[in-house]
Amino acid sequence: MSRGTADAVVIGGGIIGAATGYYLARQGLKVVLLERAFPCAGSTGRCIGGIRAQFTHDLTIRVMLESIKMFQELDEELGVDIEWYAGGYLFLAFDEQRKQSFLQAIEIQKRYGLKVEFISKEECCRIVPGLNAEGLLGGAWCPTDGQANPFKVTYGYLEGIKRFRGEVLVCQEVKRINVIGGKVVSVVTADGNEFFTPVVLNAAGPWAEDVGKLAGVDVPVKPDRHEALVTEAVERCLEPMLVDYRPDGCYFVQHYGTGHFIGCYTPVPIVPGHNLDASDEFITEMPRRMVRLLPKLALVKVLRHWAGSYEMTPDGNPICSGTPVEGFYVSAGMSGHGFMFGPALGKLMAELIVQGRSTIDLNEFRLDRPWTKAEAMK
Amino acid sequence: MRKKKGYRKAKTDNVIVCRCEEITEAEIRAVIRAGYHSLEEIKRILRTGMGHCGGRGCLKVIARLIEEETEIPVSSQKFPTSRPPLKPLPLGLLAGYKNEQGNR
Ligand SMILES: Cc1cc2nc3c(=O)[nH]c(=O)nc-3n(C[C@H](O)[C@H](O)[C@H](O)COP(=O)(O)OP(=O)(O)OC[C@H]3O[C@@H](n4cnc5c(N)ncnc54)[C@H](O)[C@@H]3O)c2cc1C
Repeated sequence: MSRGTADAVVIGGGIIGAATGYYLARQGLKVVLLERAFPCAGSTGRCIGGIRAQFTHDLTIRVMLESIKMFQELDEELGVDIEWYAGGYLFLAFDEQRKQSFLQAIEIQKRYGLKVEFISKEECCRIVPGLNAEGLLGGAWCPTDGQANPFKVTYGYLEGIKRFRGEVLVCQEVKRINVIGGKVVSVVTADGNEFFTPVVLNAAGPWAEDVGKLAGVDVPVKPDRHEALVTEAVERCLEPMLVDYRPDGCYFVQHYGTGHFIGCYTPVPIVPGHNLDASDEFITEMPRRMVRLLPKLALVKVLRHWAGSYEMTPDGNPICSGTPVEGFYVSAGMSGHGFMFGPALGKLMAELIVQGRSTIDLNEFRLDRPWTKAEAMK
Repeated sequence: MRKKKGYRKAKTDNVIVCRCEEITEAEIRAVIRAGYHSLEEIKRILRTGMGHCGGRGCLKVIARLIEEETEIPVSSQKFPTSRPPLKPLPLGLLAGYKNEQGNR
């Protein structure tokens, strides 16, 4: 049992806690980050590392344009090779309705200056040699989207927090948040350690609802299971992230740095709750879907298969917000895109917390919004 | 690790501990000394246990290195979850299994 003080306590050692903690510390705050298990124990260590600006919500597009700019410069900022690579994202359209929805999205995305276009089936095949284009109508192609290594990015930010004289404490589960007179006062861990602080950030990802309750704040984030697999490393033969939105589709990418293929799909129907069981269904279904799309992968071996959680809000957009409790902030509910949001939302949340406003206004991600503007490119 | 009297400890710094990812003992010790004291954290930083063998070759050795460096005994260390498949299998084989078995 010990007592300490901080200018800001961050709860959660995933990408969101790590990045936000870093930008708070860089602004001169004394940051203490508390992680229940170890960094990347939650969704961040289970994600596939894709980064894109192809969304439909205006604010999300603007946040991602900023985030991609930051990923491009993150090696220098953090002093580690984060394995950023702009291999692009190719969203495939196998029916007219999907094609129309991509065309609509592209119109919005172009307004913000994104380099994105709808390309023909032939062009898709040129970008992805060996693609099985049967029934393909074309695809939404953005060459500036890309990938990076979630472990490198997260640990890079955590080391950065320490460089700015902050602390990163593992095996520290937050059990209590003391609120007096409508203001946060301190945070208490399972070991009985207490940290007095005027600022607490809930960055607990799929567990954000539970952490919100500790401060008496309702944070509508619900986990649902997403499984993924990784193959052995092979010679480079795929540049972009391929996204196949068919009901039995999937998304996968080849890691630029290592040559592994890594991918996942969104199950229909969804599997709600904290569920990290790896299913028999996925380990046969995912290979079938991958090989159907890219037959040349048939001989590539699967190394591992695991499950993680998407952390969904009612409209599929993040919550980045103050709360009715003074000093208590939420940055969670990334709805399956938290890795790519990390750098920009980390910086913007730090601005919101310290300056009271951020250079890109996050108002549309506030906690008391009507949840009506749903993201179409989940 | 208990050392037997009369034996001189060999110089093992350059010995490869994780053969899949080619990680040496010295690299692992450096990460432990940087403050990462669990197999899970070391795995995420160095990829030890993420290759073909799934950690069968290296994890016990790394656990002993952690014990040497930190005095956290191997017996109280948490080993990462073993992930299926136990042995690497081709995508095409797994996909075919699906086709033959129908919608299991
Ligand atoms: C299969 C899969 C694929 C994905 N692919 C992508 C992708 O390609 N691109 C992308 O951008 N996103 C992707 N995502 C989504 C992404 O992983 C998440 O949105 C992101 O990691 C969320 O980060 P976070 O920091 O909010 O949460 P987390 O990484 O879950 O971190 C929350 C942390 O809080 C800790 N915690 C919880 N409760 C407490 C407590 N009481 N006290 C202390 N600590 C606590 C947890 O241990 C955890 O480490 C994918 C997700 C999955 C599952």
